[in-house]
Amino acid sequence: MSTAVTQKNRTGSGSCTDASAPIQFTFNGKSYQGVVGDTLASALLANGVDVVGRSFKYARPRGIVGHGAEEPNGIIQLGSGAATVPNLKATQVELYPGLEASSVNGWPNVDFDLMGLIGAFGRLMPPGFYYKTFMYPKKLWMTYEHFIRQAAGLGATPVENDPDSYDKLNQHCDVLVVGAGPAGLVAAREAARTGARVIIADEQAQFGGSLLASKQTIDGLAATDWVTAMVAELEAFDNVQLLPRSTAFGYYDHNFMAILERRSDHLGLTAAQGTRQRLHRVRARQVVLAAGAFERPLVFAQNDIPGVMAATSVTTYINRYGVVPGTKLVICTTNDSAYQTAIDWHQAGREVVAVVDTRSVLDGDLVAAAKALGINVIAGHGVIEAQGGKRVKRALIAPLNDDGSAVTGSARRLDCDLIATSGGWSPAIHLSSHTGAKPIWDEQIVGFRPGASKQQERSAGACRGTYSLAGCLAEGASAGAEAAKLAGCGDGNMHFPLPTCEEYAQQPQQALFLVPHTKSASRAPSQFVDFQLDVTAGGVELAVREGFESVEHVKRYTALGFGTDQGKLGNINGMAILANALGQSIAETGTTIFRPSYTPTTFGALAGRDVNQLFDPERYTAVHRWHSDQGAKFEDVGQWKRPWYFPQAGESMHDAVNRECLAVRNSVGILDASTLGKIDIQGPDAAEFITRMYTNSYLKLAPGKCRYGVMLKEDGMIFDDGVCACLGENHYLMFTTTGGAAGVLSWLELWQQTEWPALQVYFTSVTDHWTTATVTGPNARKVIAKVCNDIDLSNEAFPFMDWRDGTVAGIKARVFRISFTGELSYEVNVPAHYGRQVWEQLIAAGEEFGITPYGTETMHVLRAEKGFIIVGQDTDGSMTPGDMNMDWVLGKNKAFSYIGKRSLDRSDTVRENRKQLVGLKTLEPADVLPEGAQIVFDPKQQIPMSMQGHVTSSYYSACLGHSIALAVVKGGLERMGQKVYCPLADGRMIAAEIVSSVFYDPKGERHHVG
Amino acid sequence: MSVDSKVQTPLHYFHGVFGRPGIESDSSKLFNTDVECGLVIKEAPLSAHLNVRGDAGDAGFCKAVADVLGVALPTDPGLCNHNDSISIYWLGPSEWCVIALGGDAAELEAALRAKLSGHVSIVDISGGQTLINLRGHGVETVLKKSTVCDFEALPMAKPGQRGVTQSTFAKASAVISNRCDGSYDLIIRRSFADYIAQWLLDAGAEFGCRIER
Amino acid sequence: MLLIHCPHCREMREEEEFSYSGEAHITRPLQPELLTDEEWGDYLFFRTNSKGIHHEMWFHAVGCRRYFNVTRDTLSYEILESYLIGTQPTITGATS
Repeated sequence: MSTAVTQKNRTGSGSCTDASAPIQFTFNGKSYQGVVGDTLASALLANGVDVVGRSFKYARPRGIVGHGAEEPNGIIQLGSGAATVPNLKATQVELYPGLEASSVNGWPNVDFDLMGLIGAFGRLMPPGFYYKTFMYPKKLWMTYEHFIRQAAGLGATPVENDPDSYDKLNQHCDVLVVGAGPAGLVAAREAARTGARVIIADEQAQFGGSLLASKQTIDGLAATDWVTAMVAELEAFDNVQLLPRSTAFGYYDHNFMAILERRSDHLGLTAAQGTRQRLHRVRARQVVLAAGAFERPLVFAQNDIPGVMAATSVTTYINRYGVVPGTKLVICTTNDSAYQTAIDWHQAGREVVAVVDTRSVLDGDLVAAAKALGINVIAGHGVIEAQGGKRVKRALIAPLNDDGSAVTGSARRLDCDLIATSGGWSPAIHLSSHTGAKPIWDEQIVGFRPGASKQQERSAGACRGTYSLAGCLAEGASAGAEAAKLAGCGDGNMHFPLPTCEEYAQQPQQALFLVPHTKSASRAPSQFVDFQLDVTAGGVELAVREGFESVEHVKRYTALGFGTDQGKLGNINGMAILANALGQSIAETGTTIFRPSYTPTTFGALAGRDVNQLFDPERYTAVHRWHSDQGAKFEDVGQWKRPWYFPQAGESMHDAVNRECLAVRNSVGILDASTLGKIDIQGPDAAEFITRMYTNSYLKLAPGKCRYGVMLKEDGMIFDDGVCACLGENHYLMFTTTGGAAGVLSWLELWQQTEWPALQVYFTSVTDHWTTATVTGPNARKVIAKVCNDIDLSNEAFPFMDWRDGTVAGIKARVFRISFTGELSYEVNVPAHYGRQVWEQLIAAGEEFGITPYGTETMHVLRAEKGFIIVGQDTDGSMTPGDMNMDWVLGKNKAFSYIGKRSLDRSDTVRENRKQLVGLKTLEPADVLPEGAQIVFDPKQQIPMSMQGHVTSSYYSACLGHSIALAVVKGGLERMGQKVYCPLADGRMIAAEIVSSVFYDPKGERHHVG
Repeated sequence: MSVDSKVQTPLHYFHGVFGRPGIESDSSKLFNTDVECGLVIKEAPLSAHLNVRGDAGDAGFCKAVADVLGVALPTDPGLCNHNDSISIYWLGPSEWCVIALGGDAAELEAALRAKLSGHVSIVDISGGQTLINLRGHGVETVLKKSTVCDFEALPMAKPGQRGVTQSTFAKASAVISNRCDGSYDLIIRRSFADYIAQWLLDAGAEFGCRIER
Repeated sequence: MLLIHCPHCREMREEEEFSYSGEAHITRPLQPELLTDEEWGDYLFFRTNSKGIHHEMWFHAVGCRRYFNVTRDTLSYEILESYLIGTQPTITGATS
């Protein structure tokens, strides 16, 4: 094992690291040492690793720029194998022992990148390069894209199943605080003390935000100690949930926030136990956004060379992690805050070469403090170019005019290995923007601040453009109290005295985004705006010259902000450069719209536990385990698992279905029909209501009787069918299809509740209450007779389409004589807790007759032999009863215009040549037509052929000895005996004859059998 | 052997099943006490479940129900009135679920029908659903994993009255009611019971969990 | 993810509990057979598709199983009121 490289930039422990607790890790195959509390980025900087990746387009070497979600360059692949994670930001990956990471870009490696040769031809790849170069010929685009993506590298997705588990929590709270910096912490405390249910979430491992890297004091405590005390105070409330490592990534309608909590990512590649990540789906009455701000880098020539960083990130690495990422620092700034970086660097014992300030007059407190330490401050100058290869070697600085728009003198060199820049701050307005609030350009803060709230939210602190610590604390406390009050808790007044802290006098910042070069943007060395996608100032200007004006168009043309960092650093600079090129203000130019997600989110977390066996509910009947014990194969019918067929040893599906079919036709079979929808209907107007819903009439249906009915939608198309039984006076039981049960119930409720509330009728689902065992076949009566002695089963006493109460296998049962097979049938209904025992008793009673359990496939064959339709298989929402040759089911003398009736007279429903249900008999008896096969009349017609219909159901009928099919054919009922053809995808052409849809027992004698 | 010994409540096959981290079900002695188990799921014995419909604005109807059941009909949303054996859950403005623990549905239905008149509906749904109780320190988290409703905002349970709501439960639905002892009752549909049992065993695994009768 | 007030449960409830049921206040013609095909087609198929204020029916599918009406702004998704079937909205948009 190679020895760990010494951490040459580690100066000791930071506020969040323990320098005495080393951790081994590897990056791009090399072994390194970091310390407890490090991020991968801080550990790499500690080890002096300059190049962490290659840029997307030009493959230029890139180093770490930032320290959080804004990082554009340190994009890494974590681990390998099933749990590997692509495209993480090194600045957000907490170090754990044995961590393995690699750069996502760069082949064969980041230090020697063949693709980097393309970078040498960078000027050949202007914006729109891909569009211009690879779009023609169009059919090759897929090939080009594949090559481009592989060459550029976007990380590798794992190819195995994710070994980790993810879950979701549905949360409800009064006040949700996003961000646990100074504003967020005091907001949460004010809200908490009112008794409100509070959730406070922060992206980072530790609460505190900017305070973790601050040397300021609050209430006389070091900032980090004050944070510790605040966190302890919040933890003491039992109405507060603290969520560290939790990113609010999407703000949706009606104050719904999606928050991703990383529960184990800091411990290892996979979770040893429990869930790796948890998605909190938070519905908050009120939201306080305290998400902070991002420092904006300055754009200058070759500003992408490793060793150019954001000033506040340098401060963070020094104070929070104990890492000083260089030896000789040059700062370029437009504002006072970067002076703190100079002071921190100086106090860390390393050389500050100069602070180069674009402003000509400087008088802020921090400037004075820096000068007092002997730090060289150069006013009225800017860094116009960085020089170096894989690390900055020097900065070129030049005097600028008053507004920073032009170089006014000759450039000079400052040797250094780190250039820290600050172009001011951009409030993190992302979540506010998700709500639709339109960001407002604020000249004072030189940034976009949140627009007027569209939801129950308010921003506080830096994300609102308030950058002083005292200001953040005051706004946060006020926002917390206000939010609680609006959520119905407390009086809106602040309860705790505002924490005290020192204030620095600051002078206004200069609005400068692109530091001018001695050459124009198009001629100067590349001035990078968006590091990840290699968008340059020259590229933005070129887009304008090519005619793009809208910020949204320029964004798409140049790819500005399209990377995994979503332009958190580059967007504002890009828009400012665009505005300048267009000769208009930034306010006029506007900004692009931020949309969820704020940072990339794992698919696993969005799936949660809805995976594998829990992916979708499986509904079981009370007899389910008997079926599986018998080796049944199951079919999904809606969410139900229904036995499909019951293969015996050595049987194919075809064998099993033939056997089951013949058993029913010749002796007796048994089907679990419990899944059929069942609705109990009671009320004085029940019959009238039912009659309005079905096409036929139920007004005269007597107790003990059943009737088959078809339900239409108001457009006249068949929607469901089933039997309805009269149970007693004003009391009915409606059967629906298995898949249609819920839809029919809400359909009934819809009409009763909204259209005919005066009709007195109640509906109750009893689908789950009953187990239904269908005993069918010529020996069915004999089987029932063995287990039931209190019903007269004779055909005279209990005829077809009647039902009786009785006792079956010792259990009170309701028995229906209805048939979907065309055979003598008894449907035995018992409460489901007796279902299994009654089923087994029926099996035992039928043993001497060879009673055969059968599944849905046999059920389909048997009903197709009889020409019985299945709604949803033979119909598709465009079929009327007439199309199904079922005009007999239409009540001719119904007083009320039942649902769908009027539509049966529409010009479209009465036209000639509608597709009609017919039977098809293939000329070759063994040929079974594929369901869905298209039907043509002329087999010799040139393609495209005229399609005249399609096959809806098709089976081999063991009973008849030939295949049977149901089909809908244009004008089919007028075409009996004619030949049709089904051209198949495999080139075969199957010929068939149009026949009656009733193949078996056309007179219906068998189910009436006495 | 009596017929009732073969009665199968919806969670029949789950009685005695355990869930713990990394193992879907385990019949070992682990998590055999409430101390070890952060989630205990207990299914009530076969009981009478009736769906009752009627006009809440009809004082005669309300009184008749109360007279027969010995429990006042809750007419405000979100309430369940109960005594030791009978609970009446508000399901909708004209709909209630009556559960008589260990009761006989046919007898109860007959008793109600004898007193009620006019436009009412009484339906025996005893076979179609089951009552389960969830207790243990993991209950709130497990419920948050399972339902989108704000069950913490239910009317406070007090002697004789509990809060009740109906909402989603995983990808199915449930009636959810709080109890004075901090536990929760769920009423779930039979056909979804296997799915919900699997879901609960999975969701409760991090606390250790078991299902008992 | 909307938050919808159910006037029967008298609570704000999550959208997952509801299903959408189309435009409100469309009355079924009392005598459909007297309508021309065009008039009947209007009833069947044509809806206002409002931009802004819209009245629509929702069904509390896994809750109280009651239908009710909602006034919603189709631009902002803001729900302005919910009210019982058979009653009229208090908030209406300009007729357009």
